[in-house]
Amino acid sequence: MKRTTSPARAFLRGIPVTAWMLLLVIGPLAFTFLMSFWSTDGMQITAAWTLKNYALFFTDPLYVSVLAKSILLALAIAVLAILTAYPLAYLVSFRIRRGKQLLFMLSIIPLWVSYLVRIIAWRTILGNKGVINSALLAIGAIREPLTFLLYNRFAIAITLTYICIPFVFIPVYTALEKIPRNILEASSDLGAGELRTFVNVVVPLSLPGLVTGFIFAFIIALGDYIIPIQLGGTQGIMYGNLIWNQFGFAFNWPLGAALGFILFGIAVAVLTATSRFGTTEGGFLNE
Amino acid sequence: MSSGTRKRGTGLKIFGALIYLFLYFPLVIVLIFSFSPTKTLVGMQGITLKWYQELFRDQGLLTAFLHTILIGLASVSIAIALGVSGAFFLSRVNFPGKGVFRTLVLLPYILPGIIMGISLLIFIRNFGIKLSWFTVLLGHVSFTVPIVMFQIMARLARMGPNYQAAAMDLGANPVQTFRYVTLPMIRTAIVGASLLAFTVSFDEIVISFFLTGSAWMTLPVYIYGMLRFGLSPKVYAISTIILCLSLVLITLMARYTGRSADVYRVGKQEARARR
Repeated sequence: MKRTTSPARAFLRGIPVTAWMLLLVIGPLAFTFLMSFWSTDGMQITAAWTLKNYALFFTDPLYVSVLAKSILLALAIAVLAILTAYPLAYLVSFRIRRGKQLLFMLSIIPLWVSYLVRIIAWRTILGNKGVINSALLAIGAIREPLTFLLYNRFAIAITLTYICIPFVFIPVYTALEKIPRNILEASSDLGAGELRTFVNVVVPLSLPGLVTGFIFAFIIALGDYIIPIQLGGTQGIMYGNLIWNQFGFAFNWPLGAALGFILFGIAVAVLTATSRFGTTEGGFLNE
Repeated sequence: MSSGTRKRGTGLKIFGALIYLFLYFPLVIVLIFSFSPTKTLVGMQGITLKWYQELFRDQGLLTAFLHTILIGLASVSIAIALGVSGAFFLSRVNFPGKGVFRTLVLLPYILPGIIMGISLLIFIRNFGIKLSWFTVLLGHVSFTVPIVMFQIMARLARMGPNYQAAAMDLGANPVQTFRYVTLPMIRTAIVGASLLAFTVSFDEIVISFFLTGSAWMTLPVYIYGMLRFGLSPKVYAISTIILCLSLVLITLMARYTGRSADVYRVGKQEARARR
C-alpha cells in the first residue's frame, strides 16, 4: 500500500473528528496534566505551580501501598479472567460444531448487560442475608452468616473477574478462530499429542489475543472505583477510590489530577510495552 | 488414546457449562428477586408484580429514564455525524502520524473511565460551565464517537475503495456517489453502530458520575443513589427491565451487523491500531 500524503481537500473530512478530539480528549487530558501541578488554598484551587502533589504520592505511604495492592489485585483478576475465558474460548472455537454461534453470543452477551445490574446481582449473592448465606443457613451447613463474602477484596475480585471474562473471551476467541486448522493436523501428523499441540501450537498462536485480553482485564480492574465502593467496604479501598475521594469528599482536584495522571501513565506504559506482541504475532496471523 | 481424548473433551465441556452458569446465575437471581413478594429467596411465596407497579409511581425514576433515552439519542446522533466522517477520513486519507491519530481516537475507549471522567470534569469546570444535561452529553459523546467510528471503519475496510472509484468513473459526483453507492453499503453498519453506542450510553455510569449535577440525573446515576438505602425490591424490578432492554438491543445489533461477530469489532480494531 502506498503511504503518501493525500491532497489537501481530503482533509476537510477530518475536521469534525479532529475538533471532537481536541475538545473532548486532548484538551481535557492536557488540562488535567497541567492542574496536577497546581495547588489548593483551603477549598480554592490556585494556579501556583508545585510538585507537591506528586511528592505526596511518593512520600505518603498510603498512596504507594494502595496502588501496589490495587496492581496486585488487578493482576490476580486478569489471571482469573484468563483462566476462565481462555478454556471457554478454546471450547467454543475448537470443540463445538452445532450451536457454535449461539455459544459465542452467550459468551459475549454479559458484555452488554448493565454494569450496575451486575454489581447489584453480586451484592445480592454475597450479602449477609444474600443468596449464598440463606441457602447455606437453610440446609443447616452454617449457623451464622458467613461474613467474609462481602465488603472485602474477595468480593471485588469475583465481581471484576465476572465483568472481565467477556473482555478476555473476545480477543482470545478471535485469535483462536484465525488459527488455520491444517496447522493442528500437521502437528498431529508429526506425532504431537493433543496437549503438546495445545502448548506448542495453539497457545503461541493465540498469544496476541491472550495479551490483548490480559491488558483489557488489567486496565478495567485497576481503574474501577464503583465496585470497590459497592462491594469492597472499608477493607477494599482501591486506587480508583483515592482519585474519586479528591473530587468527592476531599475536594483536592490538583491532587486528584496528579493521581489520575499516574494511573494514565501506568495504562499507557502497559499498552506500549505489550503492543510489541500485537506487531509480530499479528503480522504472522495475517498470512 | 481415543477414550482419553474423549474424557478430556468432556472435562472441558463441564468446565464450560460451569462458566456459563457463573455468567448467567447472577442475572437469573436479579430476575427472580424482582418478582418475589419477600426479600429472601428461600421460602419465596408466590409471584408479585407490585415492585413493577411501584416503579411507575416513582416520578424521579421515570424522569431519569427519560433523561437516559434523550442523552442516548442525542449522543448517538452526534457520534454518527462525527464517526462516519471520521471513519472516511481515517480509512481513505493518508497522512504522517495516522497511527497516533487512530490511537488518540481510541483513548476514551481504552483508558479507565475514571481518567476521562476527571479530565472532562476539570476541563469543563475550568470554562465555568455548570454541571447539567449538557455536560453529561459531552461525556457521552466522548466515548460514543470511537465506538461508531471503528464500526464504520471495519465495514469500509471490508468494502475497499473500488466501488466509489467505479461510481466516479461512471460520472457520479461525490454527493451522488455517497448517496447511491456508499451510503447503501454502510447503512446496516450505521444502524448496528448506533445500537451499540446507544447500549453503552444507556448503561454508562463511571464518566456520567463526575459530570452529573445534583438535579439532572441519568437512570444509572439515579439507581446508584437508590442503592445507598440498600437493595430494595424496586431496584431488582428496574434492573430486570434494563436486562430485558439490553437483550432486545443486542439481538437487533446482531441482526444489523450481519454477522454477530461485528459486535466486537471495536476490540479487534483496537488490537490492530496498536501495531
